[in-house]
Amino acid sequence: MASEQNAGIAHQIPRNSLALLMIAQLVVIVPLAQHISLWIIVVCLFCGYWRTQVYRGRWGYPAGWVKTVLVIAAVAGLAASGYRGFSLEAATSLLVLAFALKLLEMKTRRDAYVVIFLSYFLISTAFLFDQTLLLTVYQLVAAIVVTAAMVGLNQLQTRVRPVNSLRISAGLILQALPLTLVVFLLFPRIAPLWSIPVPSAASTGLSDKITPGDVARLGRSDELAFRAVFDGAVPAQRDLYWRGLVYSEFKYGTWTQGEPLDEISLADAEAKIHLDAEEFSYEIFLEPTQSKWLFSLDTPINYSARVALLGDYRLVNPEPVLSVARYQVNSATGYVMDHTLSGAMIQRETALPQGDNRRMREYAKDLYYQVGGDAQAMVQAMMSHIRNQPYVYTLNPPTLGRLDSIDQFWFDTRRGFCSHYAGAVVFALRAVDVPARMVGGYQGGEINPLTGHMVVRQYDAHAWIEVWLGNKGWTRFDPTSAVAPARVESGLDAAINDEDRAALSFLSAARLGREGLLTQALRWADSLEYRWNLWVVGYDSATQIDVLKDLFGSISAWKIGLAMMVGSGASLLLVAVAVFWRRRPQARHPAERMFQKFCRSIRHPRLRRLPEEAPLTYLIRLEKETRIDLSDLRFQLQRMLYDPDYPCGPLQRYRIRQAFRKLRFKLAFSTPTTAS
Amino acid sequence: MTSSIPTPAGLQPPENAVALDMMSREQIQAKIQFIQTALDDVLLGKHLQIKLSLACLFASGHLLIEDLPGMGKTLLSHALARVLGLSYNRIQFTSDVLPSDVIGATIFDKKTDTFRFIEGPIFAQLVLADEINRATPKSQSALLEAMEERQVTTDGQSRKLPEPFFVVATQNPSTQAGTFALPESQLDRFLMRIELGYPEPAAERELLLNGDRRQHLQQLEAQLTLPQLRQIQQAVTDIKISDPLVEYVQRLVAFTRQGGEFAFGLSPRGALALLQGAKAWALISNRTHVVPEDVQAVLPSCVEHRLRESADFTGHGGGALAQKLLAKVDVVA
Repeated sequence: MASEQNAGIAHQIPRNSLALLMIAQLVVIVPLAQHISLWIIVVCLFCGYWRTQVYRGRWGYPAGWVKTVLVIAAVAGLAASGYRGFSLEAATSLLVLAFALKLLEMKTRRDAYVVIFLSYFLISTAFLFDQTLLLTVYQLVAAIVVTAAMVGLNQLQTRVRPVNSLRISAGLILQALPLTLVVFLLFPRIAPLWSIPVPSAASTGLSDKITPGDVARLGRSDELAFRAVFDGAVPAQRDLYWRGLVYSEFKYGTWTQGEPLDEISLADAEAKIHLDAEEFSYEIFLEPTQSKWLFSLDTPINYSARVALLGDYRLVNPEPVLSVARYQVNSATGYVMDHTLSGAMIQRETALPQGDNRRMREYAKDLYYQVGGDAQAMVQAMMSHIRNQPYVYTLNPPTLGRLDSIDQFWFDTRRGFCSHYAGAVVFALRAVDVPARMVGGYQGGEINPLTGHMVVRQYDAHAWIEVWLGNKGWTRFDPTSAVAPARVESGLDAAINDEDRAALSFLSAARLGREGLLTQALRWADSLEYRWNLWVVGYDSATQIDVLKDLFGSISAWKIGLAMMVGSGASLLLVAVAVFWRRRPQARHPAERMFQKFCRSIRHPRLRRLPEEAPLTYLIRLEKETRIDLSDLRFQLQRMLYDPDYPCGPLQRYRIRQAFRKLRFKLAFSTPTTAS
Repeated sequence: MTSSIPTPAGLQPPENAVALDMMSREQIQAKIQFIQTALDDVLLGKHLQIKLSLACLFASGHLLIEDLPGMGKTLLSHALARVLGLSYNRIQFTSDVLPSDVIGATIFDKKTDTFRFIEGPIFAQLVLADEINRATPKSQSALLEAMEERQVTTDGQSRKLPEPFFVVATQNPSTQAGTFALPESQLDRFLMRIELGYPEPAAERELLLNGDRRQHLQQLEAQLTLPQLRQIQQAVTDIKISDPLVEYVQRLVAFTRQGGEFAFGLSPRGALALLQGAKAWALISNRTHVVPEDVQAVLPSCVEHRLRESADFTGHGGGALAQKLLAKVDVVA
């Protein structure tokens, strides 16, 4: 009976470990909190409270039927939370819920281990949403806390030392770093074996639909869109049109991309470039968009092999961008997009729905007639119309009707931002059968002086138009430049009015260079993050293959395997050496070392020194046994070892060493004389 | 003695003036040799025990002598007091001795109408606590404060004990009838514990032929003045120790703390006692520094009473443990 009770105690969770376990749970849930529903957080906190009450002996563990009800209620709650299908958020919510409910049945050590391993799993789950430096550092701390809980689980009940557990676990994590580096560098990045549910599209950023009638949410977020690193010249601010999306279809008041075009290749690109054309080379680190589109300047003629160029000259990724995507592009400004246009393409780029925006159609036909059927002149005329009439650039345009939104904007409200102006001009051109399309992307960018890379943020989002002008191909026009030239010349900050500026968040204001010190700090953080993306997040399988090729010449499975083995071995050896070095024996006294060396060299069993024999006692015995006079050595050695005032310089050491050498020599030719 | 400074008439320099009694190194050695010879004369064939007990007192420590009745424990302690020139009191412990019998008591004086403190036998420079383990724990503990703090507290008032203050306690082996074993905390306060053992045949023959040696006790003269004793104690403190030696002591102490056969390891006080004893031993052996042989010589006396076998927690396995300690721990690293 007693032994049974003892066994029960042995399986219980120690007090300090329970506290650390609950802290660890909290710590690993925090980064996921923004991706899951609020009620799940409340459930987590309640479960924590319940477990605390259990520990205090106030409440009991839930009964079996209570647990069943809780699980059913949790799943039902998830179903009612309105996640779209089995998305990443839904899966994460389910995981966090189960993790929280596990608290209520965490009784034995086995349960505690389940919680610990789940915690590690949750730590890695958070990286599916986000791979920033900040999160990585946070998760490192989280890993330390979780490991500390595990350390605490294995401590004696009588030695409750949470701080000590933390220190031990920090040491353990530190020891794992070299191996982590080796695996990071060498382990092949295998494509996922099953498809991971994709996080739902972010609320900020570009959208593949533009509805001029809707209230705009564009233009205010200061979130990062991408970073670009130019190799050589940087284009002027007004030429920085980062193309990402092409809106070719207008239906029910909404611009969309329409049917995707086929992939093309620019095999004969060189031939079509004007001689005076500039060429820019740059690399882009695109933040996750959950979409396939990529951004590039006009016109990409050379790009990383794994991205594709579509018929409307924009780059796409083979799969949605879930983590920072890294690609290299060469753009030539002089490239002519589409010398000729096929009939299908003309139809695609001139298509309009029937019967809406009648005033605009009238207006377009009149204007086209006035300018003598010249598309370029018509665009110029519309832009001078914008310039001369009281049009206003604002981020807060009034809401427009669904179907006749272009009419209302152009003739009545005259207030809008980039896509309103672009949409109106494209509509007018299409109304007179000139091929035209709206292009979405980012305009401008800010150079971070610390690292020299360009930062493009969501508030740089922009829309402009492209008009097909026969043998000039698709030509870019920006109607917004007519109403707010500063927007294009020097960025959003110069273009927005005071009312819009007041609506900017504090951070956005800082990003726009309005808060001296904070701006500096933000730039510094940005360049740190940039380096993180460059070296860590951007180290994808393609970069890895390049690096490995540089290292080993050609890549083969056995070479990587061998490198992995050598690397892991070396990193483990490094840790072993570090541990050994910290526990190395204290530096020994030189005389002690020489004496010990001499003692080890004595082979004769009777002459060997016993551990308890002090140097003097031993030498006296040796003297007796061998009849060799050792009085000098005896005196010297004893003084050197035990008289702190006796000099122990190189000379004395040399003498002792010589004396021992001589003695060894003599001993080799003599045997103990005392008869046994 | 000649002095260039004229002494005012009628003012004699104090008898124990430091300048008068300062001894050179050689004089100290000669004194120590002389004291040893004098004691050897009283206690026959116990040279090692005499040397150890002198080392203990020179190291300012308390001494515990443990042996059967009639082995000369009292004689040794009495001789020590005489030869060192210390005031001497003897307390004979029995089971009905009370703390006030040791420390003293406050009584009402009718003549002066005040309370007066009558000093107990503990107010002496050398106190012989005879058969200490026959006293009850309550009376034993009366000695505790005195030994460690060198003061006693009665009626809420602390009184300083004379300087120097030594306790030489004797005890019968605790297996004998009518004894209360000293607890570890109290044993730890004794720097050394020695056993006298039966005399050698030659010494015993001498004893039997020439009768009681107690008469020699009366002829013993004080060999040291108080400042001289202090000077010797200071000389012990000044004995030098080297790194290899401290490391040896540390290895010894670490062995008791790690080894499975020890119920508990040596305390830092035990380690200090060992080093202090070794220093005194080095002084008596006429060295300016401690060598491992000194440590080995005093080790059994210094640690035996502080060690317990884990197999026999209450027993007296200290002797065997000390031997094991000596044999197992390497002198050089």
